[in-house]
Amino acid sequence: MRTKKINSSTLWSALVIALVYVGVFIAEQSLPSTSMLFTVLKKGATYALVAVSMNLLNGFTGLFSLGQAGFMLIGAYTYAILTIPVADRMNVYQYYAGGLVQFAMPVIPALIVAGLVAAVFAFLIGLPVLRLKSDYLAIATLGFAEIIRAIFQWNKLGALTNGSNILREFPTFNDFNIVNAEGEVVVYLSTTIPFLIAGVCIAIIVLLINSTYGRSLRAVKDDEVAAEAMGINLAHHKQLSFCVSSFFAGIGGAMLAMYQSTIQAKAFTSAMTYEILLIVVIGGIGSITGSCLASFLFVACSEWWLRFLDQKQMIGDFEVPLLRNGFRLVVFSIIIMIVVLFFRQGIMGTKELPDLFGRKKNLKREVKA
Amino acid sequence: MSQNVLKVENLTMQFGGVVAVYDLCMEINEGEIVALIGPNGAGKTTAFNCITSVYEPTNGRISFMGKPIAQNSPHKKMHFTYAGTMPDAFRGKHVHLTPDKVTKLGIARTFQNIRLFGSMTVLENVMTAMHLRRKSNMFTATLHLNLAEEHYMKNKALKLLETVGLLDVQDEIATSLPYGKQRLLEIARALATDPKLLLLDEPAAGMNPQETDELSAFIKRIKDQFNLTILVIEHHMNLVMEISDRIYVVDFGKLIAEGTPAEIQENPAVIAAYLGGEDE
Repeated sequence: MRTKKINSSTLWSALVIALVYVGVFIAEQSLPSTSMLFTVLKKGATYALVAVSMNLLNGFTGLFSLGQAGFMLIGAYTYAILTIPVADRMNVYQYYAGGLVQFAMPVIPALIVAGLVAAVFAFLIGLPVLRLKSDYLAIATLGFAEIIRAIFQWNKLGALTNGSNILREFPTFNDFNIVNAEGEVVVYLSTTIPFLIAGVCIAIIVLLINSTYGRSLRAVKDDEVAAEAMGINLAHHKQLSFCVSSFFAGIGGAMLAMYQSTIQAKAFTSAMTYEILLIVVIGGIGSITGSCLASFLFVACSEWWLRFLDQKQMIGDFEVPLLRNGFRLVVFSIIIMIVVLFFRQGIMGTKELPDLFGRKKNLKREVKA
Repeated sequence: MSQNVLKVENLTMQFGGVVAVYDLCMEINEGEIVALIGPNGAGKTTAFNCITSVYEPTNGRISFMGKPIAQNSPHKKMHFTYAGTMPDAFRGKHVHLTPDKVTKLGIARTFQNIRLFGSMTVLENVMTAMHLRRKSNMFTATLHLNLAEEHYMKNKALKLLETVGLLDVQDEIATSLPYGKQRLLEIARALATDPKLLLLDEPAAGMNPQETDELSAFIKRIKDQFNLTILVIEHHMNLVMEISDRIYVVDFGKLIAEGTPAEIQENPAVIAAYLGGEDE
């Protein structure tokens, strides 16, 4: 009986996810490509991946790390440096005689390398930093992200990173569109492909969480002493979680570079990490589904739905007071406060998509945490 | 002659000026149930924590199956404040494993204050403890190529839950179980690591008399079923006298008596420690 029930709810979830993808694909073919919807979907998919990678660390391993922007920066730069076409390098690296790297990689391998480089940095930084706990770990990782940001802007490394100048001309999401000989777009894929990349990465994280390693990570989060007494090597498993999380944050950073089409190190501030932390908290710490939903909601609110608050609005002859540039952020902060005060579990708590279709699960899980 | 499973030599554990365990010597042979008893604060749990490497002993050696798993002698600053015996006997070789390595060698434990994984179901709690004997690596496990192993883990976990009688609550959240069942689950989880030596820290605490009676039969049963050697800390004297082959009694960190249950019951030092002796 039970197995059957799990199967049906999993099937329903798979169906919902498939419908979302079909919906995105159809919308992309039928709506004008300048629609705000696609901005939200592209950036949302990118943030969803980074938020899920942060959730793996904060929600499933219990490591409170704030280094996400740093790893995104590493991923974004690695991707950009590796994929700028050789012909454009002279132009991009105009102050550094065309730069050091004189080759270009295809997009997908570059994405994977971006993740790997971020993971290598995570491994090195993890060796000393993962001995710390809770707040101290957060401070150390935050510091790391700031240091990385400064180093990438250092002009001595300009031949590689282009110093504090922007990197551009690398392939973006729009390059996924299939064009015919005349340069007209035949099939729009500039939103579907980012969805696929993020989807595959998130699926891998979900698989990891549901494996024996995922159980061990949750054990580490629940009780380090007991986990260690059950033979789980703490250092090894924390390091593993940190590297995997950073790997996907790196890919997320590369996707952000593709979304923005130009990147500059100074944009990867700690504010970016806080945005992602916010998504994780709003979605529910320990819920992958929550992180995904929250990232789209967050991006939609900040980029689209609340934009009207930044402009003068007239109702008849009456000018609505307070509305001016920046007021959006005030409203946004209030919404966040309400969420934190009254919906502490976030949108999903620790529930996942299949739970919504009646998978049996004891809700007491949420009480202990 | 049966082999020593665990040998504790001159174990001293000193925290600052407090000597929690003082010159403790113990030997546990294969297949025995040995009890470690003593008044509150006598240093029993500290001794457990030394055996499982949660603490690094100040002085002494602990060997498991003939192999040292902890060895230390007072060094540096501790050398001047050291209050125990034989500060130079174990000099030279320093051994300190992490707790997970000790568990991997075959020493499993339960906790006095229950430490279950609170976000997991009963079944997941037991399966988590099998992670250390995994054959799959991170990639095969993530891609779910180790289905046979997962299947084996699940079946073994279910069998263990059947042994401890928790099969019907396998999908409950572990910490939502009543106290007595949580203790049984801790034992099941410890058994899942395939131990040779099982350390039980007050398994009967919080249990009613009937549950305690059942527990003593249960401990004997799992000893035979899993070929275990058991070291148990307990305050319920009925339970201790019924199950143990030998008893060690500690008071203020010092070993004050050792022997069979019958000998211990007659021992004046033990009676004095528990009831307060005459002034000398």
